[in-house]
Amino acid sequence: MGVVMNANTAVSGEFSRFFHFLMQEMKPRGPWLTPFNVISIPVIFTGVVIIVIRFIYGLGAVTNLSQDFPWGFWLGFDVITGVALAAGAYVITFVVYVMKVEKYHSIVRITVLNGLLAYIFYAGALVFDIGRPWQAYNPYIGNKFGFSSVMFLICWHFFLYMVAAFIEFSPVVAEWAGWEKARKFLKSITLATVILGITLSILHQSGLGALFLMAKPKIHPLWWSEFIPVLFLVSSVYAGLAMIIFESTISHRVFRHLIPHDPKHSFDDILFGLAKGAAIVMFVYYFFKALLFIHGKQWSMVNDAWGYWFLVEVIGFVLIPGFMFAFGYRNRSLNIIKIASVMALLGIVLNRLNVSVISFKWYAEVHYFPSWQEIVVTLMIIFTEIWILRWVVTRMPVFKPAH
Amino acid sequence: MDSFTYVNIFETKGLEYLLLLCFWVLFVYLIRYLSPPSKNRKDWH
Repeated sequence: MGVVMNANTAVSGEFSRFFHFLMQEMKPRGPWLTPFNVISIPVIFTGVVIIVIRFIYGLGAVTNLSQDFPWGFWLGFDVITGVALAAGAYVITFVVYVMKVEKYHSIVRITVLNGLLAYIFYAGALVFDIGRPWQAYNPYIGNKFGFSSVMFLICWHFFLYMVAAFIEFSPVVAEWAGWEKARKFLKSITLATVILGITLSILHQSGLGALFLMAKPKIHPLWWSEFIPVLFLVSSVYAGLAMIIFESTISHRVFRHLIPHDPKHSFDDILFGLAKGAAIVMFVYYFFKALLFIHGKQWSMVNDAWGYWFLVEVIGFVLIPGFMFAFGYRNRSLNIIKIASVMALLGIVLNRLNVSVISFKWYAEVHYFPSWQEIVVTLMIIFTEIWILRWVVTRMPVFKPAH
Repeated sequence: MDSFTYVNIFETKGLEYLLLLCFWVLFVYLIRYLSPPSKNRKDWH
C-alpha cells in the first residue's frame, strides 16, 4: 500500500515538475518585431479565417476547384510537392544509421524534425482538400479497407511514417524533458524505427507517383509515364538532399548561437558531401528521363509550348543544377552549391505541379488556376510549420549531436 | 472507346541501347570527376 502511494506521489511530482517546466518553455523568447513575424502573423490569421470559411461553406467557397479539376494547388503543392521536399529525413537517416556515415550525424536531428513537421503539416493539409473531411478516418478504422487502392497505401503510410519520424525524434524530446530512462529506451529502438521509416518512405514516395497512373488520358504525355512511381522516388532523393542543403544553410545563419562547433566535420564539408550525392542522383534521374523520352518517341512533342515548358523543367531545373552541384563540389564553391539547391528545389516543385496540376487536362479550354485563398492557406501552412520549428529548435537540443 | 493501337516497344531499342552506353561512359567520368585526387597521384605530378 505504502509502495503504491509512494509511486503515485512520485508520478504526480514528476507531472507537476514537467507542467511547470512546460509553462516556462511556452513563454516567448527573443524579439517579437522581426520581419518574419510581421509577415507571417497576418498571413496565418487570414489563413485560419479562410479555413473556417472552407469548413462552413465547402471547397467551392474558397477554391477554384471544380468537377473537372478536383485536385488543385493544395494537393499538388502541399501534399505531393511537400512530401517530396521532406524526403531528406529518410535519406539522411539511411546514410547515418544504415550506412554508418558519421559525418552527417550532426544534422540528423534537425533533418528528422523538418521531415516530421513537413509530414504533419503538408500531409495534414489533405484534410482541407478532401471533399468530406469528416470521413477521413475511414481508411484507418477498417470501414471499407481499399487494399488495392494507392490512396489506401498513402493514407496508412503517411500515418505510420509520422509515428516513425516522431519516434526517431523522441530521444530529443526525452532529453529536453529530463526523462533519462525514456531517452535510453527510445534511443535503443531508433535503428528499427529508421528501417521502418525508410521502407515506408520508399513506398509512399513512389506511391504518390502511382496516384497518377490511372490518369493517362488526362496528363500530357510528356509528363505521364508508366514509370512515374520510379521517377518520383528517384527525384525525392535529390529533393531531400537539396532541401537539407537549403534549410541547413538558413538554420546555420538564424540559429548560429545554438550550434556547437564540430571539430571533426565542418559544416562546409557536410554540404559538399550532400552536393556530391545530389549530383550523382540528378545525373541518374536525368538519364532516366532521357530514356523515357526516347522510348515514348517524345521528340515529336517538344516543338510547341508544352514541349518548351518540359525542356525548361528537365534541362533548366535538372541538368543544369546537377552540373552545378558537381562543379561546386569539384571547385569547393559553396555559393554554386547553394544556388544549385534552390534550382533543384524549384525543379521538384515544377515537376510535381506539372504532373498534378499544370499538365492535368492540358487540352481543356478553361484551365484551373489557384485562387488567392488557396495560396494564402498554403503560405499559412508553411509559416505555421516554421513557427513550430523555431519553437522546438530554440528549446530542445536539436543541434546537439545525438549520443 | 478508342480503337486498339499496337505499340511496338522494340522500335526505339537501338537508340535506348546507345543512350545506356552513353550513360555508363559518362557515369564513370562523373564519378572520376567527383573523386578527390589520391595522395599517390598528387605525389607523381
